[in-house]
Amino acid sequence: MTIREKGYHQWEGELQTPKTPWMPIFLSGIRMVFKRKFAKLLFITSCLPFVFFLIVIYISTRPELEMFKDAVKFLTDDRMVFDSIMSNGPTIFLLMLMGIFFGSDLISGDIQSRSFPLYFSRPLERKDYLLGKYAILMFYYLLFTLVPGLVLVLFKVIFTGKILFTPRFIAALILTPVLTSIFLASLTLVISSLSGNSKYSRIMLILLFYMATPVTAILSHAFSGQYFFLFGPTSTIKQMSSFLFDAKLAFKYPGWLSLALIVLVSIGSYFFLHRRIGKLEAQIESGN
Amino acid sequence: MDTLIELKNIDFSYSKDKKTIDNVNLGIGKGVFGLLGPNGAGKTTLMKILLGFLTPSSGYGRVLGFDIMKDRKEVRKRIGYMPESDCLMPGMDAVTLTSYLGELSGMPRQEAMKRAHEVLYYVGLEESRYRQVETYSTGMKQRLKLAQALIHDPKLLFLDEPSSGMDPKGRTEMLELIKDIGKKESMNIIISSHLLPDIEATCRHVIIMDKGKIVSQQEVHSQGIERFNRFEIRIKGNTDSFLERLKALDCQISTDDRELHSILIPKDQSSRILFKIAMETGAQIRHFVQSKATLEDTFVNAIGVNHDN
Repeated sequence: MTIREKGYHQWEGELQTPKTPWMPIFLSGIRMVFKRKFAKLLFITSCLPFVFFLIVIYISTRPELEMFKDAVKFLTDDRMVFDSIMSNGPTIFLLMLMGIFFGSDLISGDIQSRSFPLYFSRPLERKDYLLGKYAILMFYYLLFTLVPGLVLVLFKVIFTGKILFTPRFIAALILTPVLTSIFLASLTLVISSLSGNSKYSRIMLILLFYMATPVTAILSHAFSGQYFFLFGPTSTIKQMSSFLFDAKLAFKYPGWLSLALIVLVSIGSYFFLHRRIGKLEAQIESGN
Repeated sequence: MDTLIELKNIDFSYSKDKKTIDNVNLGIGKGVFGLLGPNGAGKTTLMKILLGFLTPSSGYGRVLGFDIMKDRKEVRKRIGYMPESDCLMPGMDAVTLTSYLGELSGMPRQEAMKRAHEVLYYVGLEESRYRQVETYSTGMKQRLKLAQALIHDPKLLFLDEPSSGMDPKGRTEMLELIKDIGKKESMNIIISSHLLPDIEATCRHVIIMDKGKIVSQQEVHSQGIERFNRFEIRIKGNTDSFLERLKALDCQISTDDRELHSILIPKDQSSRILFKIAMETGAQIRHFVQSKATLEDTFVNAIGVNHDN
């Protein structure tokens, strides 16, 4: 006799009260991202900076590769090495590309499909929903910043037998990728929450991530003010990283300003998103 | 706990000038309840207040013993909700989506997956459970919405226009499913609908809403409403005066396009009154049939014949 013929039957299990109600959103999200078109290609490409730095670290330790020594001279200073690893242009570019491809529809997709009632008829709060969405992006961002960074520390120790071991360096090693990821995830989710059209979100993200830096550079030159670089995500991340690693700053303004800006934008974004989701939920509920 | 839902003096409005829910007092016990009313009566809004989606501007409410404003998580853990709107997330197949929503309800992953197969089978989506939900027809989406509401075996199920957009066969099957679920002692259902036959087919109790107020609450079939006798009559002659006189006696009258008048006469009045008035007004009764009062009569009586909707 089939279940349908038997009629509705009860579930014998017991519902749990999970400590991390956002976990199913996170796990489902990372699976969905991995299934996306171009995901694997983008992930492989994102490993290239790691491979490059691995080769460079290796070269710097081999006496027989003397001819390359000048090119990898900066590797004598661990702070500069890891500042470059964490905030080099190609890595930031690829992280932004991940935000555009995988993050642009994280909230806008739910707006478009009007699926908030399905989420919020469950024992799920707005903060859980947001944490789930943040976690998806953070997972991939950290996978291509923090993880390669820590692996390269290991290789550096293996190849050279030494590494700078100061509290600031260790803190920078963790804080730089974490803050970069939170910052980029915040910007991505804010833009994604602005529209139910994922294409629109994608265009907005392209403008924000890739157009802001050239515009700030033009403004900086036009008005001879380095502070304009604060408004470019790439330059801000670069400056924050150099500040945290205590390396040479890329721009002529205090590094803590970038750090403060990133922290403020990230916190502000969370509160904005919290309100925004509430508003969207109410709009959908009222049928507007 | 016999009272599943208790609302006291609930008010809610989307705008300042008009109350969508106006001083609603309601007590709902176990069983299958229908929330009936014309479009814009406030059924869906009331349902969303019960779910904790909307916060009432005043009043107090409890669902399954939990405060609807303070214990939203506890309420939501124990309820299932089938929304009216198309709300399924694209990019997932039905099994993945249903089990995902089961996990969000607090089910362990493996249990959620197993149960997802069961409920999808139960609602009749066994053949297409691995298809992407965006390829589903409206009827299939309705079934899937029911499946996701059932996955965690809630104590209280809210169904908002469950047969909306379905073809006649699909609609019959959906109503059969609801009837079957409603047979379970442990499951209580509240169905919001503007379709009287749906409520009549599935519910034991009906709550009629109009303009944000509860205008009637009674059993569907016992016709506690049998405060009325129903007659179908056809008249020739001075029809207007005849009908006016009946209205003055608190009778409810509706007329179809074949000029057949359906008249609800209060129980304390005899059918003789019809003939008496006909004689006095010079109208001739050409057709006279006593019929059973239906839910439609109750509905018309509760919200008034001349309702805009």
